[in-house]
Amino acid sequence: MTQVELAEKANVTRQTIIALEAQKYSPSLELAFRIAKVFDVPLEEAFQYN
Amino acid sequence: MQFLNNYSNRELNIWAELILDIIVSFYFFSKIFPLIINGQLYNEALVGIIANTIIISIIYSIFVFGAINTLTKREEKDERDYIYELKSYRISNIISQVSIYLLISLIVFNPINQVRLNEFTAPMIAMILLIITLLSSTGKSLTQLFNYRKNI
Repeated sequence: MTQVELAEKANVTRQTIIALEAQKYSPSLELAFRIAKVFDVPLEEAFQYN
Repeated sequence: MQFLNNYSNRELNIWAELILDIIVSFYFFSKIFPLIINGQLYNEALVGIIANTIIISIIYSIFVFGAINTLTKREEKDERDYIYELKSYRISNIISQVSIYLLISLIVFNPINQVRLNEFTAPMIAMILLIITLLSSTGKSLTQLFNYRKNI
């Protein structure tokens, strides 16, 4: 899945996806759930706390 | 056109805002300083400069923001945009508040009048308010750009 596709499905901008991938931005709980839903995985699988 | 593709629509708008602040500051201060130095800061001249500054801002906004929003795809704001916007408004608000308190002190104590440099007139207050607007707008744009660039 491309960044643009993920951004469209999660209803955010591509820049936000770039920042998330680079671990420069922590998403809200709502956005984290939306992204996990896009990938159809549990939240703890999509995101990990470092 | 390649240049436009490297920046998001939102970032281009912020850059345009910052450039507007710089153009307005340059025009405004280049006209005001000679008047201050020569002691000719009269109301008529001041009103003309303030009016021209506002007209320049409006014309620039129509053309530049119109061009940006026509040539690039407009994006809906997401949570990250709102967070950065709030951070920038906070900085802008602090600048405005501190400046307005300083302006109130100027009006109350009027040191300008005490040293008899000039009358503290309505156009002079308008000039100071314009400077405050410029400062807070520049602070807002710089904070937003800093946040967007820091995360890429």
